Amino acid sequence: MKKLLISLALLLSSTAQAGVAVIVHPSNASSLGQAEISRIFLGKMKSYPGGGPAVPINLAEGSGPRGEFEKAVLKKSASQIKAYWSKLVFTGKGTPPKEVANDAEVINLIKSNPNLIGYVSDTAVTGDVKVVATF
Amino acid sequence: MKKLVKVAVPLIAISCTPASFAEIRLNGFASIHMSSLNSDNGGTPFSQYNEGTFSFKDESLFALQASSDLGDGLTATVQFVGEGKDDFAIDARWAYLSYTLSDTHTLSAGRFANPIFYQSEYEKVGFAHNYARLPKAVYAGFDFSTIEGVALDSNFYVGDYTLTTKLLYGNWDGSVFLSATGQDEFFGLKNLLSARATLAGDGWNLFAGSFIAEMEGGTIDQNAIIGAAAPGIAAAQALGATQAQVDNFIDSVKWDGKDGIYSYLGFNVDRNRFIVDFEFASYGVKDSSDGWNDTWFFGVGYRLSDTLAVIVHTEENKQDGADTDFLDGVSNPVLFATGAAIKEALSFSEYEGTGVTMRYDFHPSATLKADYFMGESTRTDIGDYSIFSVGVDLVF
Repeated sequence: MKKLLISLALLLSSTAQAGVAVIVHPSNASSLGQAEISRIFLGKMKSYPGGGPAVPINLAEGSGPRGEFEKAVLKKSASQIKAYWSKLVFTGKGTPPKEVANDAEVINLIKSNPNLIGYVSDTAVTGDVKVVATF
Repeated sequence: MKKLVKVAVPLIAISCTPASFAEIRLNGFASIHMSSLNSDNGGTPFSQYNEGTFSFKDESLFALQASSDLGDGLTATVQFVGEGKDDFAIDARWAYLSYTLSDTHTLSAGRFANPIFYQSEYEKVGFAHNYARLPKAVYAGFDFSTIEGVALDSNFYVGDYTLTTKLLYGNWDGSVFLSATGQDEFFGLKNLLSARATLAGDGWNLFAGSFIAEMEGGTIDQNAIIGAAAPGIAAAQALGATQAQVDNFIDSVKWDGKDGIYSYLGFNVDRNRFIVDFEFASYGVKDSSDGWNDTWFFGVGYRLSDTLAVIVHTEENKQDGADTDFLDGVSNPVLFATGAAIKEALSFSEYEGTGVTMRYDFHPSATLKADYFMGESTRTDIGDYSIFSVGVDLVF
């Protein structure tokens, strides 16, 4: 019975989908909900509620956490997001967030810059950054 | 060739800027469409199409945009567009400087988009919208969608919503295709003042905007109005009309010095897989022989998946050719009849139609669109017509 429970627990843990953690610099005291995070990543909000410029960092197109983040936080598909930014880029109203290749790069950038905000798989989070929301 | 050189010099100058001065960001968009327009009587309702042939030029275009962050909130942007309807001749469509005054306000100056209607600023960027072409009833492709001036873009929060506004002042002179004369006619817009606002929520937008400008009549006055009125004026004078009556008549029918007013309002929803678009526009030259235009389109669509959407829309372009209020001061019956006839002639082109568009995002930066549109024009050289197109819109 004990073996069965352990096997079941291992099976569940391996099939459970990793979530997305939105991370900032540890010194960032701002309280951020889904609406604020969405505004920052869509270029509508350029400062944190507590003050200071908010600079979003995106993961590269097609990476797993990016798709989950866009669905859960921005509530749009990848092509809807691309169309949205096309409107802003070609009317001079904004540029999409800078992209980096992977979770480790996001963490490395954020731990050294208090203005940055990004997202990573929740399993990739380290003590160098602060999690402000999970989805 | 001269045009290419004019374009190439600033492009080379930008691309040769030392990297230490500023980073140049290059973006582009393109549409490669095969289209075919067929009408019952052989005419074409929109000047860019060649009736009765499959064409890869009528709706295709390429564009390249270069922008550079010069530091301290200053950005320089230039956009070059080559359209198939112009044999892909490269045109420096936009060239402007932007200065970020604060998180809320951005000031721009130079040559940029005139937001005549809600989606005018990006109507050439096919990837940015869901239609094969934005409904022509509203998005007629006026050349004065690009003007020279100064603009203030602002962004506010209203509770859970975002309010974006734009104020603009500018001038324009150029040409538009006039159905009444069958050719491009030149005119100008002086001291154009524009205001627009969009309230946005989660998956919806509510919008309205308007501009007013003083008209400079150009060849529209010379050819389509005063030129066309010449026989009527001569007949009136032969029957005893005075020069003062003729001058008063010309003042009534001409566009020069009158107010051109363009307004729009509408909403769109893109939420839970459902798409709804509505826009109504009303425009014309006040107190003149111009027939007032009331146009609209309504579209509903459904996203069958994250990459596939189908939209059905209907559109209508109506012109009021019967209103003769602008001739209130004209007492001579021959001149009055001449003015009424000119207005009717300028307003004779109306149309309505229905279309279906499929959008398939087969690549993160490219979408395949296919559409079929059936329309009916009041122009006797057109009658019923249809447009079929299939092609790719992409951004890079």
